Amino acid sequence: MRITAVITFALLTFSAYGQTTVKIEAGAGDAASIIRIAVPFPELAPSQGALPGPVNATEVREAFFGPLTRDIAYSGIFAIAALPPSVPVTPDLLKRNNAQYHLKLNVWFEADQYVIEARLNDASGATQLAKRYRSPVAALGRTAHMLSNELLKTLNGRPGVFLTQIAFASNRTGTWEIWLMDWDGANQRRITFHNALSILPSWSPDNERMVYTSFARGTSDMYIINRRGGGRVRVPSGLSLNTSATFSPVSNDISFVGSERGNPDIYLIRDDGSNLRRLTTSGSIESTPEWSPNGRQIAFTSGRSGSPQIYVMDAEGTNVRRISYDGNWNDDATFAPDGERIAYTSRVNGRFQIRIANLITSENHIVAGEGSNEQPTWSPDGQWIAFQSNRSGKWQIYRMRADGTDLLPLTSAGENKEPDWSKKPE
Amino acid sequence: MTKKWKALFINLVIVLVVLAPACKTTKKPVKTQETVTTTEAPPPDLSVRTDTATEVKPNEDFVKPEAEPTEEVIPTGIEDLNRWVHEKGYVRDAFFNYDEATLDGDAQAALNASATWLKSAQGSGYNVLVEGHCDERGTEQYNLALGDRRANVAKDYLATLGVDASRIRTVSYGEERPFEEGHDDSAWSQNRRAHLVLVR
Repeated sequence: MRITAVITFALLTFSAYGQTTVKIEAGAGDAASIIRIAVPFPELAPSQGALPGPVNATEVREAFFGPLTRDIAYSGIFAIAALPPSVPVTPDLLKRNNAQYHLKLNVWFEADQYVIEARLNDASGATQLAKRYRSPVAALGRTAHMLSNELLKTLNGRPGVFLTQIAFASNRTGTWEIWLMDWDGANQRRITFHNALSILPSWSPDNERMVYTSFARGTSDMYIINRRGGGRVRVPSGLSLNTSATFSPVSNDISFVGSERGNPDIYLIRDDGSNLRRLTTSGSIESTPEWSPNGRQIAFTSGRSGSPQIYVMDAEGTNVRRISYDGNWNDDATFAPDGERIAYTSRVNGRFQIRIANLITSENHIVAGEGSNEQPTWSPDGQWIAFQSNRSGKWQIYRMRADGTDLLPLTSAGENKEPDWSKKPE
Repeated sequence: MTKKWKALFINLVIVLVVLAPACKTTKKPVKTQETVTTTEAPPPDLSVRTDTATEVKPNEDFVKPEAEPTEEVIPTGIEDLNRWVHEKGYVRDAFFNYDEATLDGDAQAALNASATWLKSAQGSGYNVLVEGHCDERGTEQYNLALGDRRANVAKDYLATLGVDASRIRTVSYGEERPFEEGHDDSAWSQNRRAHLVLVR
């Protein structure tokens, strides 16, 4: 049933991209079966015609081919079939190396830009995907991610997470500011220039804006900024704190922690600063709201039981129920894109760990690691979790699969924390 | 001039300086200093006097070193002033227990002292920013909320002691700006506080 649905979606996707000859191998749309794909290093010349000369092979390898093959290897859909070097790729060679597909790449330089031609051929030699990209050197990594994404859409019917961005806070310039990076940690760039403590970025559902907290005025305030660092506005709430702000996935509401006379509660406010609404009214500390993917529920942290624990309520503030019972300090709840699981920070034996709880079955488990591990954020496909860990002695951001495998550090300059993964795959 | 003569001269100066303000009763340390600095007495040369004390051993009843004046500049810059009032104990921070925002006896005593100074002639010229701080053992987002509660608990207590609430602003830094960078009980206890900052 699921396979059929995926294949149908895949066919729609193909037609949208003008593909006419589509062959779907048995199980090709099923995420559970690995597709073996041969990806030889590009030929550094046009595929036909000899004019523009070859290019810097090291640059192509580091800025383009490396990210591309890492994306493919981490896709969860593909495995890379190794081919012997310097041998012409023939259907027979592919068959002998058990490769179902061959990604043929030609790279050359033309008018100050790299030109990358990619053809995805199946085992019979039929072309399933043909793309040509033109890219300045600085955008080669992004070009690799775009191509990886096309491969995944072509053969799996859904985009990957290769074009997603992770927002975070970094103190590498001496002050905590908001930064962005690609999903693989590349292309790290600063977005805010407050020269004041600026923390807790959170993406809008359309990947265009972020809301965060800055102490630029000496108080903590909410700000919205676009992904290129422009269009900055302050969202005045009239309350203290203004922390843990996060956009609704379905409306222009922002949920955040506001405080009046030392009583932090969960509030909603429109992104233009209007229509302030208070959702929690307990006298205890409430913190860290996070929307469910359909916008109908909000997870948050409350100290009402005597220690910080995770609760979920309806987005109107009603129907509150407690989620976490393990450990005496839980915080940072965040819904998986399926809406059924939440990941949160949970103290275990004096250290913080990432705990994943299933809201339907109530099962939960720790994704253990060294050091303290906090502030999980899901990739939009639900396959990955980024989080911060102090296992190296400094706070850095790491990425792992939701089952804890394929762990990779994403940052190393200064200290880095509070990752928030963009909400849409593209 | 020999050291002996010099010492005698200095001792005479000291006696004059000590006797002049001694008949006044001073209420506050700050006023003592103001009184002393307006006597225009030359400051005693402490290094020389110390040498003399060890070498000549003058009559200790006569020297009364604990009654000697000291000269001190009252800071006028706001940063120096903040450092100074905290060093002197005129303004004191309130410290908290782990994951708590209630004032124990020590914290109340600290804020009592702070309120007294804030209501004094010197202190009433300033507003106060109460910063809520937490130790690193919690989580960042919850600690920002906890720091807000700590700051406001301190603010409310200062207000009950008669410091006009309109003079008191609060901000929470959670665990973002620790006073001590260490990772032990000593550092943690230093980092759980409502920190009072004078502002104009």
